[in-house]
Amino acid sequence: MTRSIARFLFRRFRKLETDVHPLNYLFWECTTCCNLSCLHCGSDCSMNSQMPDMPLPDFLGAIDTIKSKSLITVVLTGGEPLLRRDLEECGRQIRKRGMRWGMVSNGYLYNEERHNALLGAGMGALTISLDGLEVSHNWLRNTAGSFDRAVQAITLAASSSRLNFDVVTCVNPRNIGELDEIYDLLLSRRVKAWRLFTIAPIGRAESNRELLLTGDSFRQLMEFIAEKRTLKQMDVKFSCESYTGPYETRVCDGYFFCRAGINIGSILADGSISACPNIDHSFVQGNIYRDNFFDVWQHRYGDFRNRQWARRGKCADCKEFKDCLGNGLHLWHGDKENVLVCYNDYLQKN
Amino acid sequence: MKNLILKILGGISLTSVLFVFQACYGTPQDMEQDNQFEGVVKSKASGNVIKGIKVKTNFEGRQVYTNESGEFNIFLPLADQYKLTFEDADSTLNGSFASYDTVITDVPGYVRLDILLQPK
Repeated sequence: MTRSIARFLFRRFRKLETDVHPLNYLFWECTTCCNLSCLHCGSDCSMNSQMPDMPLPDFLGAIDTIKSKSLITVVLTGGEPLLRRDLEECGRQIRKRGMRWGMVSNGYLYNEERHNALLGAGMGALTISLDGLEVSHNWLRNTAGSFDRAVQAITLAASSSRLNFDVVTCVNPRNIGELDEIYDLLLSRRVKAWRLFTIAPIGRAESNRELLLTGDSFRQLMEFIAEKRTLKQMDVKFSCESYTGPYETRVCDGYFFCRAGINIGSILADGSISACPNIDHSFVQGNIYRDNFFDVWQHRYGDFRNRQWARRGKCADCKEFKDCLGNGLHLWHGDKENVLVCYNDYLQKN
Repeated sequence: MKNLILKILGGISLTSVLFVFQACYGTPQDMEQDNQFEGVVKSKASGNVIKGIKVKTNFEGRQVYTNESGEFNIFLPLADQYKLTFEDADSTLNGSFASYDTVITDVPGYVRLDILLQPK
């Protein structure tokens, strides 16, 4: 009964939040260059990227159109943001405008000098990837030595009381048996928060099915997270990537809510205006080199804010559509005839 | 009005996480407080700006250098007291100046400093 009431109120909240759609999370794909060549990269980035980095003044011109900036966190992503030589200046200029900023990094280039420089530039949030123990991390990251560098970076970041820091892990068949050991490793490094993902069949992972979890292993992942959350030693959670049916609220802090285009916007490397950077390019709403960014945010994003179009394929007759709304938007690609992944479906069948 | 209803609904249907969310592939949001120090360093004798001055702080490893316009800008975590030291780090390249220390307490979030260094 209580759960039904909470669900009902949450749907009302989600509807209102969608109507108001306050922008408070903005991705900036500040580079498509990357020093690693990960097997699962959703953006297909590499060191040989031909796309030039967006000049800082171009990005600043776009965010200067936003009327109320004080509650916005700008998240620099890539590629690998640490490859940008003006990263600290980017951060300072963002803070100068009253916004906060953070960065998603593979940690390979994150050393003490850079750590201090970035904190001095007002960085307040950081996420570093650790995709397994040494062998499985180096395999997925496609780079020998990347595990050691990531652990060094994690240790450094976790030592800062100022940073809102977490570690993310892309769970796959090769590392799912290592989760307990990774948990212990992170605890020993004083990490306070750990988010676990699955790998979606997009980008490079589209053609590499050995990266994807099956129904059984997905349930194993859910059970692992649910159990660790009861220990309260670390803030362990499933990412907001997907509706989890019976595991909703047991594996994360609230109900599933894909906020892409509702609270989350993005400016991609080519100036495209969208939401999370891994969302299919067909959802792009404009371009900062043609359009006023905030005008686009306020008046476009129709497919993000009304998800009824997703009632198709396996979602067409699904009784849980009212709670799921077609899952994470990054799971709709190509002709969008069907959602790429439905974990609730996996769980029901297993 | 909608914002008020949002807060009420959010509060009673679950928790504050409804407002402090995290994007799938992004970082946590940053709501922490810190203090910003910025300013310009000039020669006490000529009034000219000085670039390349090292601005050291009482937080290990946290330092910046003044830019071409003699400006610096650094964020530091909350503390009761801050000590900033201005050092001529490039020998005689932009002139030669004596170091200068300043201690600041009761920082309200932002501090503007105009520093004059004495030529040696």
